[in-house]
Amino acid sequence: MKYITHKPKLNDVRIWMTLSVLIVLPILVGNYFEPESPVLAVTTLLIVGFFILNLVIRKFLYFRAYFTSNYNLLTSKVRTEKEFGISKELMFEKLIEVIDDSKFTLIKANKKSYEILAISKISWLSWGENLYISFEDRGDESIMQFCSATLFQIYSWGKNEKNHNDLMKAIDSSLTV
Amino acid sequence: MSIVVNLDVMLAKRKMKLKELSEIVGVSTVNLSILKQSKVKAIRFSTLDSICEALDCQPGDLLEHIGN
Repeated sequence: MKYITHKPKLNDVRIWMTLSVLIVLPILVGNYFEPESPVLAVTTLLIVGFFILNLVIRKFLYFRAYFTSNYNLLTSKVRTEKEFGISKELMFEKLIEVIDDSKFTLIKANKKSYEILAISKISWLSWGENLYISFEDRGDESIMQFCSATLFQIYSWGKNEKNHNDLMKAIDSSLTV
Repeated sequence: MSIVVNLDVMLAKRKMKLKELSEIVGVSTVNLSILKQSKVKAIRFSTLDSICEALDCQPGDLLEHIGN
């Protein structure tokens, strides 16, 4: 199995820039403007609106690139690849069964592009993650590509890794018939 | 793997479709397809028993060990 992890590291300058903006900007705005100022209201509205927008678009496969992009610093993601030695058509059907029996919720399964979108439940640690699974043929092998991305948080508290491990365990145990 | 599942051979002998077997045995067609390709990790005795019952055969008819 090949792991490609894209989660923020503390030595990444982009993380500190994002954190600075997220922490310093509200403080500056709060100090500079009066509590009744429309600027504060607009800023709050923008942040809440952006969060709600993310909540809505998370259920569309179309926005996969947005959530899984390396340039999206507001989401933490973990990517893996695994070869199962089973045709992608069969593995696609199998994975739908596995997700239906697991704690994840199946949102969309596109049989044409062999893409699956599932989400995990909201917990104290996260707003729930998006799980994007796709399949591709590479030579004689079919590869399952997995990506777990947070909804609106730059640190996943290990939830992405847990999702990955839980799904792999579920697939493994489902291979006992 | 050196264990080969001859489910397709037995199905052909009994002139039965995978879907029919799936309905009789109560195992999904996806799982039976994976079993047919010998890609499963393990098979339960209960599943083996049901398949043998449905196909009127012995476990040895379904499973074969291929030496190195």
